[in-house]
Amino acid sequence: MKWGIGALLAVITIAGCQEKLTAPADCPALCPGGQPQVFDEIFPAISGADSSYVGYVQPHQAPALLVSDGLEGFEERGLVRFLARETTVTVRDTARAYTIDSVALSFTLVARDTTQTGLQLLLYRIPPSIDSSTTFAAVASAFAPENILASVDVPDTLNTGTLRTVFQGADLSRVEIPAADSGRLALGIRIASPVPTGVRVGALAGGAGPTFTTYARLDIPDTGTANLRTISLGTGFGTYVSEVPQVVDTTLLAVGGNPSARAMLRFNLPSRIRDSATIVRATLELTPVTPITGLPTDLARLSSRAVLADVGAKSPLSPVVGIRGQFPPPADTLEIGSTTVNLEAVRLVEFWLGAAGGPTSLVLSLAPEAASFTRPVFYSTRAADPAVRPRLRISYLLEFPFETP
Amino acid sequence: MRRALVVLALAMLPNAAGAQSSQFGVRGLGYPGRALAVRAIGTGGAFGLVDPESSQNPAALAGVQNLTAAFTIAQGFRNVENPAGTASLRGTRFPQLMVAGPVRPFPVVVGLSFSNYTSRDFSLATSSTIDLRGVPVNVSDTLSSRGGLNDFRIAGSYRFGTQWAVGGGFHIISGSNRLTSTRIFDDPNLLSSRQRSELSFTGVGVSLGVTRQFGPTFSVSAVARSDGHVNMDRDSARIGSIDLPYSAGLGLRWRPSPRLDLAGQALVRTWSGANSDLLALGGTGAKNTIEAALGAEYTPDPRRPSRRPIRIGAHYATLPFPLLPGEQGREIGVSAGSGLRFAQQRAGLDLALEHVWRSEGAYSENGFILSLGILVRP
Repeated sequence: MKWGIGALLAVITIAGCQEKLTAPADCPALCPGGQPQVFDEIFPAISGADSSYVGYVQPHQAPALLVSDGLEGFEERGLVRFLARETTVTVRDTARAYTIDSVALSFTLVARDTTQTGLQLLLYRIPPSIDSSTTFAAVASAFAPENILASVDVPDTLNTGTLRTVFQGADLSRVEIPAADSGRLALGIRIASPVPTGVRVGALAGGAGPTFTTYARLDIPDTGTANLRTISLGTGFGTYVSEVPQVVDTTLLAVGGNPSARAMLRFNLPSRIRDSATIVRATLELTPVTPITGLPTDLARLSSRAVLADVGAKSPLSPVVGIRGQFPPPADTLEIGSTTVNLEAVRLVEFWLGAAGGPTSLVLSLAPEAASFTRPVFYSTRAADPAVRPRLRISYLLEFPFETP
Repeated sequence: MRRALVVLALAMLPNAAGAQSSQFGVRGLGYPGRALAVRAIGTGGAFGLVDPESSQNPAALAGVQNLTAAFTIAQGFRNVENPAGTASLRGTRFPQLMVAGPVRPFPVVVGLSFSNYTSRDFSLATSSTIDLRGVPVNVSDTLSSRGGLNDFRIAGSYRFGTQWAVGGGFHIISGSNRLTSTRIFDDPNLLSSRQRSELSFTGVGVSLGVTRQFGPTFSVSAVARSDGHVNMDRDSARIGSIDLPYSAGLGLRWRPSPRLDLAGQALVRTWSGANSDLLALGGTGAKNTIEAALGAEYTPDPRRPSRRPIRIGAHYATLPFPLLPGEQGREIGVSAGSGLRFAQQRAGLDLALEHVWRSEGAYSENGFILSLGILVRP
């Protein structure tokens, strides 16, 4: 009997561990309070309160150098100056001269149009006096045929990776550094292609700048390995210049470019949404002035970040969004040829909700910044046609009217 | 004394009291509880007004001879059917807890009990297609509620001689409904929505009962109760009150032989007093209810009445909160049970199995409720 009771208790306990209370509901009899209603509403950006600000990332601060030959209708060229190479090497506390056996120049191919073949990087010797103020015109004369150092074939199978060219023997004279240049070698980079295209080459800011390696033999009476030296020099300065300088139209919203631009939009959400709505979808709808252009197969990402305090161009941006700040900022790729851009930004809008919500502003930026061939320009609130102005489309539920009771 | 304090402490523990869940508890204040111990459940509720372990009649406490604690576990298995489909459900509840003991040398018994007053435990699922931004989107909605009203009773009885016993009870009626509405979209671009609200209730009531013994084999019990009203807060803000019913009940008990104990009772509750309040709050109203039960307990060995008695019974009840305006749900149940006492009558188990059928128009459900009562006399 005792065992029977124990077994009964066990059965009841086990059977009761997992409840199952969900039943199908037949409305309206079994739907007290009705069913949730989803509202969809469009909120245009505040008129006249949207702006583009330029100068966040300069070309010489970009993570990659843009080199193109008419991709956007004009040419872009990379400029690199390596760190200075000393004329001696110190061995056993004695500065010793060396003889150069060979020289290697290496570049990192960050991105290319993988559908194009027959690409070549053309390397030119340019004056080492380049700096951030150097313009396309200022160095144009250096890109003459007599200054070409090498043409580096880009293997058709190489999508990303290292390109390397070696100078030795008689070719060493081409990379000889005149004494007046104080050991600094500077290169100009162009691209040659059967059709207009572009490549992105690793830069100092991206941790993948070009390198200049010298393999030398010391003039010391030693036949061992001590007389062999490798002098590896990184990039001292790198930038790129555009044939057509960027012009910013203040009536439009430019994002990206070089120097990079960011666009700030402000919205006015009613309290019924900020205080008590549950947002299920929020889409930032933008209309480009022209279809999105860029390098096919190397798409840029449009990112939208929340503003912690709205003080204009220098507004501090939140690295995270969401009600509890647990999500990265919304971002999406910009498809080449797109005539509309819709960025899903529900987590960003959640960041605005509630009493502790942030300012109802957002900042659009492009990634990689100042290192993309894609340079979208969107209509602003100043556009004559309301249909192309930036707007936020929000799908939301108001507080569910729970039947009481 | 120490044992008594332990039992009292157990009785005062926060309790997830609740009767069975039911689709007939979706509306109004929920599905009404019966305040019955397992022994009374086994007889269909027919012994509710005379059972000291149940909480229907404070005068019945006079039957408690020693400090006693009783605890009830109910496991329900239901099949639900309505125009939207069918489902098999199950749930566990703890609908009744009681501690009582005599105050010697007086003919007085006092007791505390914690009963389910109404239960509003449900989860209702629907699916549909909505048009959002010009695109059809499948959605799944779930509305769920957990909680209900509990009845904490402080009661006492006084016995006049061998024939009369009277009792009175003070009831604290409180509880909450934790409501959740969830919508899930069949589109990854849309976040799911979950909204919550909590209703809380407080009210007090009083009950008076009497038991009259006519000879050694026949007795009559009666009870009258007023529960006043409950104040209702929504998310801590007062939103109104709902009138609770007056209740009146009459029970008869006849012992034609030492082996057989028969009982029958009827209870009427004026839930229609809540009708206007519920309608004003957007509900479907309320109707008066009646509950009638007949049952018997057969004792194989009259010298050892607690050794595996056989209990059977049936009940019929109408339900107070209609699913659709103008309708009224009803319930029929048959039950059987038994029990045993051990450890020199200081502990006991009661078991009851009840089969119920509930219906209101196209809505119906049936199922089995297995109830286990644990009795301790420290």
